[in-house]
Amino acid sequence: MIPFEYIRPSGQKAALDAIAKDASAQFIAGGTNLVDLMKKGVVSPQKLIDIGKLPLKEIKEANTGLHIGALALNSDVAENEIVKTKYSLLSQALYAGASAQLRNMATVGGNIMQRTRCTYFYDTTMPCNKRKPGSGCGALKGYNRMHAIFGASENCIAVHPSDMCVALTALNATILVSNNKGERKIPFGEFHRLPGDHPETDNTLQKGELITAIIIPENNLQHSCYLKIRDRASYAFALVSVAAALEIADGKTKDVRLAMGGVAHKPWRLTDAEKFLKGKPATENNFQQAAQIAIKGAKGYGNNNFKIKLASAAITEALNKAAGKA
Amino acid sequence: MGNHFFDKATMPAGQDRVDGRAKVTGTARFAAEHPVPELTYGVLVCSTITKGHIKSLDTKAAEKAAGVLAVLSHLNSPKVPGFDPPKPANKDEKPRAWDGLKVFYSDKIYFNGQPIAVVVADTYERALYAATLVKAEYIKEPHQTDFNANIKQAASPKGGGDDYTRGEANAWKKAPVTLEAEYIVPFEVHNPMELHAIIAVWEAEDKITVYDKTQGPKDTQQSIMQAFNLPEKNVQVVTEYVGGAFGSALRTWPHEIAAMLAAKKVNKPVKLVLGRDNMFTLVGYRPYTIQKIGLGATEDGKLTGITHTAISQTSSYEEFTEGAVGVSKFLYACPNVNTSYKLIPLDIGTPTWMRGPGEATGCFALESALDELSYKLNIDPVELRLRNYAETDPQRNLPWSSKYLKECYQMGAEKIGWFQRNRNPRSMQEDGMLVGYGMSTGVFGAFRWNATAKGIFHADGTLTVQSAVSDMGPGTSTSMVNIASEAFGLPHDKIKFELGSSSLPPGPTQGGSGTTSTLGSAVHEVCVELTNQLKQLALSAGNSPFKNAKPEGLAVENGNVLLVADRNIKMSYVDILKQHNKPELEFMKESNAGEEQKKYSMYSYSVHFTKLHVHPSTGVITIKKVVTAGDAGKIVSEKTARSQMIGGVTGGIGMALTEEGIIDHRYGRYVNNNLADYHVPVNADVPEIEALFVNRPDPYLNPMGAKGMGEIALIGYAASVANAVYHATGKRIRDLPITLDKIIS
Amino acid sequence: MNTQKPRQASENGSDGFNASRRDFLKLSSAVAAASITPSVVTKAADKKVDERIADYFEKMTLNIEVNGTAQQLQVEPRVTLLDLLREQLHLTGTKKGCDHGQCGACTVHADGKRINSCLSLAIMNEGKKITTIEGLAKGEELHPVQQAFIKHDGFQCGYCTPGQIMSAVSCIREGHANSAGEIREFMSGNICRCGAYPNIVDAIMDVKKGGQDV
Repeated sequence: MIPFEYIRPSGQKAALDAIAKDASAQFIAGGTNLVDLMKKGVVSPQKLIDIGKLPLKEIKEANTGLHIGALALNSDVAENEIVKTKYSLLSQALYAGASAQLRNMATVGGNIMQRTRCTYFYDTTMPCNKRKPGSGCGALKGYNRMHAIFGASENCIAVHPSDMCVALTALNATILVSNNKGERKIPFGEFHRLPGDHPETDNTLQKGELITAIIIPENNLQHSCYLKIRDRASYAFALVSVAAALEIADGKTKDVRLAMGGVAHKPWRLTDAEKFLKGKPATENNFQQAAQIAIKGAKGYGNNNFKIKLASAAITEALNKAAGKA
Repeated sequence: MGNHFFDKATMPAGQDRVDGRAKVTGTARFAAEHPVPELTYGVLVCSTITKGHIKSLDTKAAEKAAGVLAVLSHLNSPKVPGFDPPKPANKDEKPRAWDGLKVFYSDKIYFNGQPIAVVVADTYERALYAATLVKAEYIKEPHQTDFNANIKQAASPKGGGDDYTRGEANAWKKAPVTLEAEYIVPFEVHNPMELHAIIAVWEAEDKITVYDKTQGPKDTQQSIMQAFNLPEKNVQVVTEYVGGAFGSALRTWPHEIAAMLAAKKVNKPVKLVLGRDNMFTLVGYRPYTIQKIGLGATEDGKLTGITHTAISQTSSYEEFTEGAVGVSKFLYACPNVNTSYKLIPLDIGTPTWMRGPGEATGCFALESALDELSYKLNIDPVELRLRNYAETDPQRNLPWSSKYLKECYQMGAEKIGWFQRNRNPRSMQEDGMLVGYGMSTGVFGAFRWNATAKGIFHADGTLTVQSAVSDMGPGTSTSMVNIASEAFGLPHDKIKFELGSSSLPPGPTQGGSGTTSTLGSAVHEVCVELTNQLKQLALSAGNSPFKNAKPEGLAVENGNVLLVADRNIKMSYVDILKQHNKPELEFMKESNAGEEQKKYSMYSYSVHFTKLHVHPSTGVITIKKVVTAGDAGKIVSEKTARSQMIGGVTGGIGMALTEEGIIDHRYGRYVNNNLADYHVPVNADVPEIEALFVNRPDPYLNPMGAKGMGEIALIGYAASVANAVYHATGKRIRDLPITLDKIIS
Repeated sequence: MNTQKPRQASENGSDGFNASRRDFLKLSSAVAAASITPSVVTKAADKKVDERIADYFEKMTLNIEVNGTAQQLQVEPRVTLLDLLREQLHLTGTKKGCDHGQCGACTVHADGKRINSCLSLAIMNEGKKITTIEGLAKGEELHPVQQAFIKHDGFQCGYCTPGQIMSAVSCIREGHANSAGEIREFMSGNICRCGAYPNIVDAIMDVKKGGQDV
């Protein structure tokens, strides 16, 4: 690891001032992703601004929904009684991610900001447009079992690795960000971006901005399932994952939320499938049709071709499980 | 022989590990953990190309970086005499060539990840950082890492292939029922949890101590003696605890020599710990192997022909072979068997034995094929194996020293409910899941080599037993204490087994499931001799209670010599020493394997049964229950034996379902060289595993009647999963690992 | 070797000092640094002094409690908690298995929570209470989980064991040891290559059933 400076600002304002002053600086909180990337030489910030002790850990209900501080630990959110009862999808997704130890370190903000786990991104001797723009995409014609089937470009077929973000996308969460001039809100679905011609940019957060909280609106999605399919039973990134949440009244889906992980550069919302299911009976047959709609336009790159079929099976299974039919 | 002393009621049921406390308190010291004054840190710089030459190496920035003591490469490395052995004086004698890669020897690159330099600094962080400052330029040459693209290069090994014919070659083709299939075992990486590590300390110009991760302290000592042309007394290898290895620490690797060179250069102790990524490239792996099996049988399931061929790979600079096709020569009674074994040299590091070695590869193919044949014949897979049971060794035409494989089939089948299942593929369901049952056989030679042990009985009533071995996990110390306790007649807590240093009496390298048999024999013989001496001393003691008794009339028990005719008449060991004014009683002996190995064929056996679930649409496989039955002779240490079987199955679960090292052939570089992308099983992958033992002694192998266990625990296991997946789904997967994409495609 | 009082972590967000330190480190020789810190550099005649300057600027003060002992240490920010424990405090019970949060061998408790010490910079643990495997037993008396691991043979080589035990203690404390299935899932962050998982599960179940205070 290169030598770097480390500061621990006493408050949010000091932190925002510090980052505004120094473009090469990065915030660090849990460190589970950033320290890893620094060890591998993938990123080499000259300065770390440790925000771990800022008072942004609170989880509280407000009239706008559930506010979760950006520094709340993944484990604390997963264990939270309100989250477990009213936002179970989020709790399930968090438990599906990483390990108990990592969840005790990783923060909500850091989870949102985590980088792809693409092996070509991680190996600094390999080409990767995300790490080194213009160097090419190693995965495109390389080993791409873990890679995207939706929304990729010739420049990058990496996927966003988070489970939590898939649930937050489905739950229509909003991200609250601040800089030293003020505050703004970003709808979750607009936070992460597709690679296009600029895979080096993961998201729409601007320089000098800090995620301070997420807000999840209240919902009536009493049936939910986060299904994660991976190469071993636990402690592995998703091949595909599905966040499915349903509000069912009189046997019909009144509200439905569907999103996938492990399939795109961002948490992948299945809006067409949602539209199809809305108002229809919550039956396995309809779920299967929704799954077929969801995978329209999916594209494999060789090793990951199987993900298309797997995605369809996983969507059906997750909906079945959510609706209590599996 | 035939002294099966564990038949006595005193067998230690479930003795805890003697080193358990050290391991649960964190005081057990592994290689990198020895406190050494003035320690410095070495970090390797490794090649980023796969084949070619180093054009230039810029080490200036690294050398200038804070805390850096030296940057060592082929440009400035001290010479390793063993790399260029002098010609022997006698013309007929061949010089002893160096095995393996010669580190920092030339500018030549043989594989991606080859060490090209080592940076030494006063702290780990500084060394790590400075290593990133070393810049290499290369002249690249085209490389070959793709097995399948080079399959035409396959040739018989120079050291001799495994070409074998019994009866008629390819006789299977003429049989009424035939099967031919191809099976693939991919690159698998040992990945013990402890990273390979070494601390090299030059005590003098020509004298070195290394704290090293090795399965054989004496082997490593020999390598260092050869490398640096040093006498035995000037090389000490310390390896108190070994954090797993599974074969990866069976030989001396380039990083070990690199650390010794670095320590020489900076004239200070150097600690060098590999990164997890180096564990894929620098310490061996299970080679990629394609096998073809042809089976022929009569309608009633008698095998008439087996053909088993394998193509495996080695490195471009060294030949590695293993016995992949050997199992087909003797596991089943079959008149016509032929085998062949070929190698492809690739631009990758040299493979090495990984748990179960070639037999694990071979049994996956043979035991999958048997299962396939059983469905063709409509005969239960267990029944098919029984119909072809080899009552004597068909390869060597010798009797087995012992074989309780039938008992394994029976015990395992009963425990898992084998005969209650519906035999038809894709016929069983449970909770919406497809249910599959599968079984397979494993076999591995039961060995005994030479070993020396020393026993010292002290005046305080304790016994110390010593030998230069290491224990990578099976529980060697515990087993040896058990053996000594029985043979010497002393409770466990009064016995200490000392290992982990090359300066102890020469013990065996821990590998090939031979440690308990080999070393146990030495420990047993030493302890028996010590009791004989105690008996003699008891008879000649001034106050001996054994008037007119003969040694044959005496026995030992619980620290006493006693009269068989009247067990109340006894004399304690401590008293015996006191009467003779002896501070201690010491005996050392080399124990040699007997002639029995020539008269009998000796093998350990295992039978694995697996019950699993397959999700019908996603293909997710969940192993629900495993029963493994072993014929490992007499069980010397019940608790550690059970753990070893469970552990082997866990490794087998990885081999079956998750493990595959993947190289991007465009770059010749691993793309999953870490524990997040190379999936070894986690706790949630492993269900309840029942380990059963026939627990009957082998009468010929050694005085304990114990056969080996480490390999059979894993050998064959992967086939039981493949067979269960077929039973669950009707889909036959012949290339490992069985990932869900292969199920749903 | 560093006798001067090192800096405290900047508490007010002002990085004036850090900026000059950065500049300083960018200069390759002590002579070139003369304009910044002349009094120090005049003595910087050899590499040793150069080293001392580098040390001085690279290290920061860390207040940390390890196994009940409060310590004030000087560490470089890039030192991980794992390397601090193993290389500087010689608490080698905490193991390095992957160095990337992928195996769990480095598990310790930070303020009572299990974490991977390899992904935590030591300096980030300012003011925290760290417990390692060496701090688990009460003197000679083993912790119930340690005892249960011996009884159930929850290990073979013993390398992953300290991490497994620290994780197991947390697993019980967190309330995630209610069934074999739950234990398997919540212990999946600790890889055991020897394959002692079933015994580890048995050991945890045993302690949980025994209801001992963990």
